[in-house]
Amino acid sequence: MINLKIDGKDVQIASGATILAAAEAVGIKIPTLCYLKKVSPTGACRVCAVEVEGADKTMTACNTRAVDGMVVTTQSEKLAGIRRQIVELLLVNHPLDCPVCDAGGECELQDICYSQNVVRQPFEADDVNAATIDHWPLIQQVPSRCIMCEKCVKTCHETIGSSALSVNEKGDKAFIDKDLDKCEFCGNCVQVCPTGTMISKPFKFKARPWELRKTASVCTLCSAQCQVDMHSKQGKVLRVTSEDGSTVNDGNLCVGGFFGHDYLNSDQRLTTPLIDQQTSSWEIALDKVAAELSRVRDELGGQAIAGLASPHLTNEENYLFQKLFRVALASNNIDSEARFGNLRAAKVLNEQLKLSGASNHIDRIGQAEAVLVFGADLRSEAPALNWQVQLAARKNDTRLIVANQRKIKLVKQAESFLQYRVGSEVYLAGALAKLLVEKGQADNDFLNQFVGNRDELEAYLKQLDLVAACAATGLTLAQLEEAADHLGQAASVAIIIGRDVIGSVQAEAAVAALANLALVSGALHGDHSGLYPVTTKGNMQGLIDAGVAPEFLPGLQDYTAAKNKFESSWQVKLPEGGADAAGILAGIEQGTIRALFLAGTNPLVGFPESARWRKALEKLEILVVQDILASELTQLATVVLPGAASAEKRGSVTALDQRVNKLKIAVAPPGEARPDVAILSELFARLSDKPEPSEKALRQEMMDLSGGYADVCQNLEQRSFCWKQAYAPAAKSLLAATPALTTPEAAELQLLIGKCPFQFGTTTTYSAANHELAPAGLIIVNPADAAKLGVADGGHLKVTGPVGSAIGKVMINEMVPAGLITASDNFTDMNIQQIMPSGSNCVAVTALKA
Amino acid sequence: MAEVFFSSWGGNVIDNRQGGEPQASTFKLPENYLDEGNVGAFMGWDGIIVLNKDVDIVKMAAEYMKRVQEKYCCAKCTPGKRGTRVMMDTLSRVLAGHGNEGDLDTLTGLADLLENCKCTLCMTAAKPVLDTVKHFRDDYLAYMRGERKSKPAIAYHDKLTAPCMDRCPAHIDIPAYVEEIKDYRHDESLATIREYMPIPAVCGRVCPHPCESACRRALVDEPVSIMVLKRVASDHELLHHQQPPMQPKPSTGKQIMVVGAGPAGLTTAYYLALEGHKVKIIDMLTEPGGTVAVGIPDYRMPRPLLQREADIIAALGVEIEYGVKLGRDVSLRELKEQYDAVFLGTGAFKSKPMGVEGEDEGYNGFSEGGIHYLRAVALGEGMVTPKRVIVVGGGNTAIDCVRVALREGCEDSILVYRRTRKEMPAESYEVDDAEEENVQFEFLRNPTRLIVEDNTVVGVEVIKMELGEPDDSGRRRPVEVAGSEYVIPCDMVIPAIGQDPDLGYLEEGDYGIKQTRWNSIVTNGGTMMTDNEGVFAGGDCEYGAMTVVLAVGHGRRAARVMHRYLTEGKVYLDQEDTMEDIINNLNIFDDKENVGICGGLHREHQPKIAGAERAQNYGEIELAMPESQAVREAERCLRCYRVAMLAVQ
Repeated sequence: MINLKIDGKDVQIASGATILAAAEAVGIKIPTLCYLKKVSPTGACRVCAVEVEGADKTMTACNTRAVDGMVVTTQSEKLAGIRRQIVELLLVNHPLDCPVCDAGGECELQDICYSQNVVRQPFEADDVNAATIDHWPLIQQVPSRCIMCEKCVKTCHETIGSSALSVNEKGDKAFIDKDLDKCEFCGNCVQVCPTGTMISKPFKFKARPWELRKTASVCTLCSAQCQVDMHSKQGKVLRVTSEDGSTVNDGNLCVGGFFGHDYLNSDQRLTTPLIDQQTSSWEIALDKVAAELSRVRDELGGQAIAGLASPHLTNEENYLFQKLFRVALASNNIDSEARFGNLRAAKVLNEQLKLSGASNHIDRIGQAEAVLVFGADLRSEAPALNWQVQLAARKNDTRLIVANQRKIKLVKQAESFLQYRVGSEVYLAGALAKLLVEKGQADNDFLNQFVGNRDELEAYLKQLDLVAACAATGLTLAQLEEAADHLGQAASVAIIIGRDVIGSVQAEAAVAALANLALVSGALHGDHSGLYPVTTKGNMQGLIDAGVAPEFLPGLQDYTAAKNKFESSWQVKLPEGGADAAGILAGIEQGTIRALFLAGTNPLVGFPESARWRKALEKLEILVVQDILASELTQLATVVLPGAASAEKRGSVTALDQRVNKLKIAVAPPGEARPDVAILSELFARLSDKPEPSEKALRQEMMDLSGGYADVCQNLEQRSFCWKQAYAPAAKSLLAATPALTTPEAAELQLLIGKCPFQFGTTTTYSAANHELAPAGLIIVNPADAAKLGVADGGHLKVTGPVGSAIGKVMINEMVPAGLITASDNFTDMNIQQIMPSGSNCVAVTALKA
Repeated sequence: MAEVFFSSWGGNVIDNRQGGEPQASTFKLPENYLDEGNVGAFMGWDGIIVLNKDVDIVKMAAEYMKRVQEKYCCAKCTPGKRGTRVMMDTLSRVLAGHGNEGDLDTLTGLADLLENCKCTLCMTAAKPVLDTVKHFRDDYLAYMRGERKSKPAIAYHDKLTAPCMDRCPAHIDIPAYVEEIKDYRHDESLATIREYMPIPAVCGRVCPHPCESACRRALVDEPVSIMVLKRVASDHELLHHQQPPMQPKPSTGKQIMVVGAGPAGLTTAYYLALEGHKVKIIDMLTEPGGTVAVGIPDYRMPRPLLQREADIIAALGVEIEYGVKLGRDVSLRELKEQYDAVFLGTGAFKSKPMGVEGEDEGYNGFSEGGIHYLRAVALGEGMVTPKRVIVVGGGNTAIDCVRVALREGCEDSILVYRRTRKEMPAESYEVDDAEEENVQFEFLRNPTRLIVEDNTVVGVEVIKMELGEPDDSGRRRPVEVAGSEYVIPCDMVIPAIGQDPDLGYLEEGDYGIKQTRWNSIVTNGGTMMTDNEGVFAGGDCEYGAMTVVLAVGHGRRAARVMHRYLTEGKVYLDQEDTMEDIINNLNIFDDKENVGICGGLHREHQPKIAGAERAQNYGEIELAMPESQAVREAERCLRCYRVAMLAVQ
């Protein structure tokens, strides 16, 4: 601690703090303009100039470190004069377009003029401002309004890691320029801009800031669930922002959060119930659904009905969905897209590590000494995790290890890049664990205390052959040793597991191997360590927690084991058996399942074997689709029930790091659309002899019956979020696994599917902004493969896999290695899932120029 | 030296405008600028110097401010970006005859406001303009009255510099690369460094960093750790396994021979290769680096990193052939005939004699010299180091020898030096390091005689010394204390007095290449070309044993001039080279300056392996500085840029 005096006040502050921070600590406000807490100080504007005893020149408070004994003056005639003149200079040739400037009313330059009494302009100079830049997608740049604070440049580089922005030109002609190829269109430059220089084109001229109603809520486009403010006017969400400092995401947003909300206003929104594609009233539609489902239930039994829920629904809705099926429809044929990845990982982690999701909070990743990002492209899967990794690697000296089949953007920041071969995940994770043990770098304290079968783990690792591991992964021993060393030397380790692993054909084995690595490396040990399985879609964690799967009751409780408890609570006899997604598909094909209820999910695009699903759905007697957007699927439906988007309803959702967030209503659902919980409640009442449950009662019931939520979220009404119970395993309760070590089969060409960085599910494909950035799916091909296939950039390929073919536009990029092509599953047109078998995100394919 | 008409340089006004006995100046400006004409005036951070009375000083001030604003102002602070623009436009209004006296107040007021700039570029740029307003007010008023039309000089030449970058023999843009580290842009930082020096891993480790002795931060608290920040940038690429981004220009078809793969040769080869020339390097050793490889032990400069630097240069298309010695395996004449140009970077590998009885008798246990000992150890040539070793000398090589001897199993490693520790030319931290490793020091002792038994050295007779009056170098001259001789027993003596170039390859017919009386090659006028057209030289063989960074500076300058020679057939210095040399002569760093800011921040140090145990192996002692610490250190940089401009009249 150091002591100094500011304006006569004694201040004690930690060594290394700036004068600005010291002043803030005692409530002295020094005016600032270019200062932005989350990035390194720029010291550009000079408005925070202060006087320091012993220094002839003024010092800028934002970037001058306080030292012991310093005597600082923050207000004086001299300083006032300097500050005023500086702002006068800022205003030279600043356009007088405040009335039509988007920042008008929330402009920091306006505020500083006001506070510093800048009422005249003594200076003149030629106007050499660069012309307004209109050609960038989604963002307009008006250099004449720029004060060169570089907040945008620094946020782009330091926080987001895009490094797209830079200062171009010299002197007064200088302006912020952009490398469009690097831009991720996260909109943070617009958010941090203190003036109207960086402007969101979709929002421009839509509203004055004071006309907007601000609703604090969460973004549910991915499962990191950033805290946002939805700004609405006349019942429409017009922009989304987030506040620095007070939010878990520190004000950062991604392309989804900032630009992706426009689907809310899409003309494809479902606004009324439909029966056989004809508009209907809610009463008739709900009666029809109830009547049809009860008829099937009564005639053929509950097993003839199936339902698929979704990460788009809230916790309460998913909870009610499974209860509706189990209690009112006597059916345990319920599942979701979690089946194809996240549920598989969750099962393994639950069995082995007693984990029901990530073991620690997202914001701890930035503090870990080593981070391993395994099979994840965080920039597209969960941008908020990417920002943490950026923070870690850029500012906190964290050793970053990237294990990926592709040379993703993050590789540039990695000190160790393990480009492994498809299917070698078990070997890779195992080899790293083995090396840690062999070199005496394993977390022995933790292993001794918590792992029940340490001997088994060590025997397993002992027999793991490093030569075979190198052969399987395609990596050298030196590469493995280097990565293991980074993990071994770190006092805290974060392991992030992404979709490449979680969606793979051997997801269970790979996750088990990574769970072993987490045990050995200490990733489950300490405040800054953590294991983070990435769930890509909004409320995937809540969906899993709600028990929408035949083998689980809420809280990942084994169906058979926990049945009695729920039967006594619900006072019904729960159905036996139950089909998962594959079983449901087969059941429909075989005619044993006649009615299907789809709540917020679309197997025609989102599920593997999507073409097979399409055929199957056409065979159904009854298809009920509850959704928010019109699609191919709603056209097949017997009854369409228009639901509400997350901005339009109440409820809770659970982030991948066990944060339970409260949704707030920013705008009403369009037309007659209703919150999904209301729809499901009404159906529940119609199909059972029980009353309509309220959202709050459902939450209470869920808390009471499912482990992780108990006692934690009691007062969620009063808060914006709460945490599920912290991870605290019992002694000797954790189990290491012994996943089979298999050498991957070689294939000439393999297709790996993933997510488009600009799209979130299919939802944002309905947003004009996202559509502008990524209008269609791309097949990314290595130049060597492109040459072999004779296809040019922008040409088309027909890709054929084990269950079908798809055609897509080609992008040639060295990011993918030769022999691997990638495609994203966000696009209905390409519908890449039609060629994917169930339970695999990577298959051998053939490709032909199309 | 030119006679001064008016000068405000350094706050010291010399005004010979009224005639009479001319006042003399102390600064060194050349009379002519290349073949363009006379030097008319010079403007910069410390004022103005007018040599020619016909210089239109108002026009020059306007031109200066225009260049500052349009060419150099980084735009990253308000007073700099807008203030210099307002000044520029005000001056151009005055020139156009539309000014008024209020404009002079604006200029004066803005010069004051520019004191609040983020760095010193625009801040110091206001100084000469202010001086013109102050001392040439009548000229301004003449413009305002419409009595004068602007009269441009023949040419204006400008240059961006800084005390550190001027002091650095390689003239690296230090403020830029330090700022890039501060901004977490390590790749850009390394790219900036590579514009001036291709071996940052080396100069980030073993540079004596003269730049830091010209660091203005030292006037506030402590100098910025400039050298280590260079290593940070270089380590970043290495630790992230990144491929260097450099790509050579299309081939020119020109063939160049570089003799010596030391710092000078590697640097020359690098910059020539980038220009698209085909370069071949030959070296007498079996690995790259020259003196750096075999003269600097691995615990200071790990050779795998040196090899990597050479590999990066080779990857640009440079061919390196080892084990070929000029004068033995190939003659200069042959090279001259086969190649379009030749660069000699042959270093200084001949040890200076101690000047004691018996040193040329070839006794067992008498090493030819420090540099030979280090080389034999480095190359694994079967050098056996006995238990008791005496090294004679006080420079870095002597220190390297005593420390290497410890690592080679010696138990008593003794350094004998004729002055005291204070006068040792070796870096003081290295002397500390040696002490930490239990090296024994015998100060104020000078060897007089070798003690030999059976043709084998068994001791050295030394005489005690005391310090007398200062000599030419400013150090106090050691004087023998009569009759104080005694013998220090030992098994080996290594003289490490210094090295000279070995120019044996020039033979008798020297090909028109002149040598100095210290056996170094003479080059001309900063072009690095010898009297033999097409043969260039640099580094230790040109200067005498000096630093790596000087060799790099030579190599870069040589490559620039060679490129002109190869593509234009002319050997000349361009504007940048010329301004660089003129400014270098002026000495930018003012150690009396009151910087006027508050400090109190200590310099950051990289972690280091401590204790005598480290002398048991060759593992690197200084460890990589964590990047967060490097950023903190970079924040201490004051970005002391200055813009100089010269008018040719």
